[in-house]
Amino acid sequence: MTTPRTIRFKLNGRSVSADIMPHETIVDMLTQRFDLKGARESCGQGLCGCCTVNIDGMAVSGCLSLAWFLDGKDVQTIEGVANGATLDPVQQAFIEAGAFQCGFCTPGFIMMVRQLLDLHPDPTEDQMRHFLTGNLCRCSAYPEIIDAVKIAVAKRAELAHLVA
Amino acid sequence: MTSFDLVEPETLEDAFKWLGVDDSSVRPFGGGTALMLMMKAQLFTPVRLVSLRKLGRQFEGIERSSNDGSFRIGAMTTFSQLEHSPEIRAHLPVITQTMKTLANVRVRNVATVGGNLAHGDPHLDLPPVWMALDASATIVNSSGTRTIPVGDIFSGYYETTLEQGDLIAELRVPVRPGWRSRYIKVTTRAEHDWPALGIGLSLHAEGRVIKDLRIVLSAAIDKPTRLIGAENVLRGKEIDDALLKRAGEAAADETHIETDNRGSAPYKKHLLRVHIARAVSALVTE
Amino acid sequence: MDAVTASPNIGRSIPRLEANDKVTGRIEYIHHLRLPGMLYGKIFRSNVPHARIKSVDVSAAEAVEGVFQVVTIDDIRKVIPHPYYGPAFHDQPILADGKVRFAGEPVAVVLATDKRIAEQAAALIVAEYEDLPGVFDEVDAMTSQTLVHDELKPAATFPDLQHLKGRKGTNIALDYHLVRGDVEEGFAKADHVFEHVFRTQQVMHTPMEPFVSVADAQDGSVTLHTASQGPSFVRIEIARLLGLPENRVRVRVPHLGGGFGGKLYIKLEALVTALSMVARRPVKIALTMEEQFFMVTRHPCTFTIKSGVNKDGRIIARHCEVVWNGGAYADIGPRVTQKAGFTSAGPYDIENVLIDSYAVYTNRPPCGALRGFGAPQTAWAYECHTDMIAEALGLDKIEFRRMNILREGRPQASGTPMVDAAVEQAMDHTLDLMNWKLPFDRGSGKIRRGRGVAIGFKGITAPTTSVAIVNLYGDGSCALYIGTVDMGQGSDTVMAQIAAEVLNIDPAAIKIIHPDTDVTPYDMGTLGSRSTYHMGTAVRLAAEDAKAKIAALAAELGLPEGTNAPLAELLRRKYGMQAGNIIGTGSFIPDYQKPDTKTGQTIKGTPFWGVGASGAEVEVDTETGHFTITKLVNVADVGTAINPKMVLQQLSGAAIMQLGFTTTENMVFRDGQLTNGSLADYKIPNLLDMPREFINDYTQSRQKDGPFGAKGAGESTTIALSPAIGNAIADAIGLFLPDLPITPESIFRALQDANGTPLAGE
Repeated sequence: MTTPRTIRFKLNGRSVSADIMPHETIVDMLTQRFDLKGARESCGQGLCGCCTVNIDGMAVSGCLSLAWFLDGKDVQTIEGVANGATLDPVQQAFIEAGAFQCGFCTPGFIMMVRQLLDLHPDPTEDQMRHFLTGNLCRCSAYPEIIDAVKIAVAKRAELAHLVA
Repeated sequence: MTSFDLVEPETLEDAFKWLGVDDSSVRPFGGGTALMLMMKAQLFTPVRLVSLRKLGRQFEGIERSSNDGSFRIGAMTTFSQLEHSPEIRAHLPVITQTMKTLANVRVRNVATVGGNLAHGDPHLDLPPVWMALDASATIVNSSGTRTIPVGDIFSGYYETTLEQGDLIAELRVPVRPGWRSRYIKVTTRAEHDWPALGIGLSLHAEGRVIKDLRIVLSAAIDKPTRLIGAENVLRGKEIDDALLKRAGEAAADETHIETDNRGSAPYKKHLLRVHIARAVSALVTE
Repeated sequence: MDAVTASPNIGRSIPRLEANDKVTGRIEYIHHLRLPGMLYGKIFRSNVPHARIKSVDVSAAEAVEGVFQVVTIDDIRKVIPHPYYGPAFHDQPILADGKVRFAGEPVAVVLATDKRIAEQAAALIVAEYEDLPGVFDEVDAMTSQTLVHDELKPAATFPDLQHLKGRKGTNIALDYHLVRGDVEEGFAKADHVFEHVFRTQQVMHTPMEPFVSVADAQDGSVTLHTASQGPSFVRIEIARLLGLPENRVRVRVPHLGGGFGGKLYIKLEALVTALSMVARRPVKIALTMEEQFFMVTRHPCTFTIKSGVNKDGRIIARHCEVVWNGGAYADIGPRVTQKAGFTSAGPYDIENVLIDSYAVYTNRPPCGALRGFGAPQTAWAYECHTDMIAEALGLDKIEFRRMNILREGRPQASGTPMVDAAVEQAMDHTLDLMNWKLPFDRGSGKIRRGRGVAIGFKGITAPTTSVAIVNLYGDGSCALYIGTVDMGQGSDTVMAQIAAEVLNIDPAAIKIIHPDTDVTPYDMGTLGSRSTYHMGTAVRLAAEDAKAKIAALAAELGLPEGTNAPLAELLRRKYGMQAGNIIGTGSFIPDYQKPDTKTGQTIKGTPFWGVGASGAEVEVDTETGHFTITKLVNVADVGTAINPKMVLQQLSGAAIMQLGFTTTENMVFRDGQLTNGSLADYKIPNLLDMPREFINDYTQSRQKDGPFGAKGAGESTTIALSPAIGNAIADAIGLFLPDLPITPESIFRALQDANGTPLAGE
């Protein structure tokens, strides 16, 4: 008979553990066992990006990934992006650009934009569009999302400058 | 999704033990993207999944041979590892090009080279490219190892020649001096969609004369297939409009294309004619 | 610049009040709600489009460990004796009742403590059917012997549907007619008569938060937590089904992950309520993305349009016959049939008009409201038709429009005058943004370029009511109690701006009390571009009422008129401590005259006019039919823009959605079975589908009776977009395409047909 196992991993910087069944997806685990609501299942097929989480620095679809494999990993969700009450530059950029309407897809877009900027600190518009093709926004805030990426690029550069 | 056993063997021997039962609901699990989709849709109900994540060296890595420059790519290599490999970009640029429109970043971060082939889905982008590149796959099972051309993996619509207990371990991809390759993804609904047809094209030309080539069609047919007829029209010839037209006709004649939501069969045949001519012409004059 | 736009809160692009909660992922959606003891329901659906149910075997499902109960209509009838619902017709059973009418219809529900177990068990249910012939096409359904319903069951709520009660032997749920002048005489007098037939396809809302509702029924009362655009309607309809007074039904709605007209009226609410009553536990049903295709969709439509035109280019007669494919259940289709029928002759000044608009039942998933209440489907026909006539007569397409356009003050086909409707201004502004007067590169060789323009308008559902409450607390802080649902359009922010403007306070400091029918007053629904105008006016009135009460309090306390003593100070003086409230209320229903039942004539058929114009430039590869939209312009009349940035975002978002309905989205059926019901195969626009150049703007105009000159704008840019693209394609290739969606294959086929080398069928 199928049995659970205990996995231990880092969730938004804190060490946690959970007793997981093999079939449990990451998004189910996060919502049901950790009460995190930022990663959301929408299309259920990895196409819309609403369930995006970051594992060891890589964005993945939480609805298509088994929680079982998180043992020993470093998991970041939208809830771990801000520094206390201070929003991440990408979150700030989304507000400044007005890059959302209903907000359901927004955490997923923010997680993806963060990975985009980690890989390409100054992306071309073509890179932005292709990198974000796996995220759907039915309110269609796409033009504003591109604006937000550009604002976030500038904000990150500014921060890097301050640190340097 | 119903529950199941999940095991993570660390040796091939253990993997074969877990897999070596006559039960198609026991399956190897690589990146898991395709299987997860099937499981969520209740199209596949596993009893046991055998993860390949801990199998180690033979299943991992992108290495280039110091002898002939060919690549060995472990089956558990993710698409994003391929995409960001400077070696691949330098010597197999068609792979990097294909990645740009292949699924999305999150899928590429997870999906693996081997799982992609084992799925047998005719709409996938990479199989026709591997076939155009003349890649071969090394398959291991409890009784030994065999190496076959990638095209020989596919036997029909979502069907492969892989037997229960077979694991794709790695790919071997030659780097052929003088050859140029391209993947043409033709979508008919949205820009970002499954292809209505995928064409993997690889050729060796001198001037406008095609010395040798491989054309592989996917998506519009039940499995990725070499278009031998079209290749024969073009091989050894100097291209001109009439020849390209003949090649397109040969391609349309030798394939059995079905109507689906991405287009009627006659329309897709037309697209095949047009895109073969355009792609060959573009690659020859590149 | 007038006084209104110079005011502190109107015309200001403040960020959404809830912006922070959206970027941190902490905002509340019903999607996440879990109640103690809650069961999850999984729907078992029919796999045949039209059949009698012979048996439903639930034994295997009930035997699954963790299954609480499997529910069919027989169980529901024990708690709700007449389990039929719907906004216009009481035609939809809560679960299939002896018959299924579309493939995908709910037949049974598994209740379990774990959603995975419910899903697993639902797959074990076996239903046996006796197949019936199906009818799927709207034109066929007009005359078919196959009947979807044996008898029409209009809802008691709409007096104008009563004559349909008990009607048998037809699939026509409703026919709407408008008569102006004498259309036959007009055709006889006209120099030219043109007739064309246009068709649009079935598409779906695809909100990213799929439909979800939770019911918690107690004895004699029920609480619903639901992703609904119409909490007041849900309350009334659930109260009717259960025979309860309104005050025993509580409907609570936080934020919505998109709605677009789908989450209107009553959807999962009847089902979860019934299940909760049967199980005596809270019940949640959350649809998957795939299941949403079986909930509600947009009407396909066949529109035959005939126009009589004089040689000078004046349109003197027009007959519109519009047949709406409503699917298996009427939902709000009859309203779509009336509302879109009403404006189906287009924004043109035509002496003789006859409109016949029919809602028909078919064996497809139900159709309802989707961002435009049918207006986009009708504009597809009348604006392509406009270009086709101009082309045939050799007239300039813009001048032909200008010659016939409905100008301010002129009566529309119904007799209702055009007031505050910037149709021509919207067209002119579109032309400016298109650089229409500059030379245009038409392409060469296989690549052909073209451009097109279209205009459109819509009436607004009438008469409807909104009620608002402004509550000022002892410290002077303010809350606004409204039934308007913020599903992303930004109503919370705009309503706060309106209240803030009256009360002279900071809009960002206002708290919006989200719909909770125990607390918030009645609102007809968040639909049809109505909130800013209707609820906005109610909020303005409520704020003015509060302001008057503050002034009265100041007078009572002996302070001079016009005192600037803060409210907190007034209340402290009155009550001797921080205490008390000032409560202002506002209720608004616009003027309306019911149309004549035979002629559809009325002098006030709509509270305001929604107006949109679009322009497109396209590039077509004539060898493959592939096309690229290189430029897209949309202009709407929004009256005063209360929050310019947010209203532009509404215009942009609506346009992109309609771009999907024009080019990429199509629910494809074979023998009544949906073949592409998932986002893998039903393609909604993404970032790569954005036109290279994409401009949205509004006219400088004012809705005089709207709050601070504003009107609704949620649908305006959906109206004219499809024909603008269709006309641009026609301009590029010289051929008009009568059917949506426009695809590379449809273009290529048209080209081959015109070349005399038609492409073979499938």
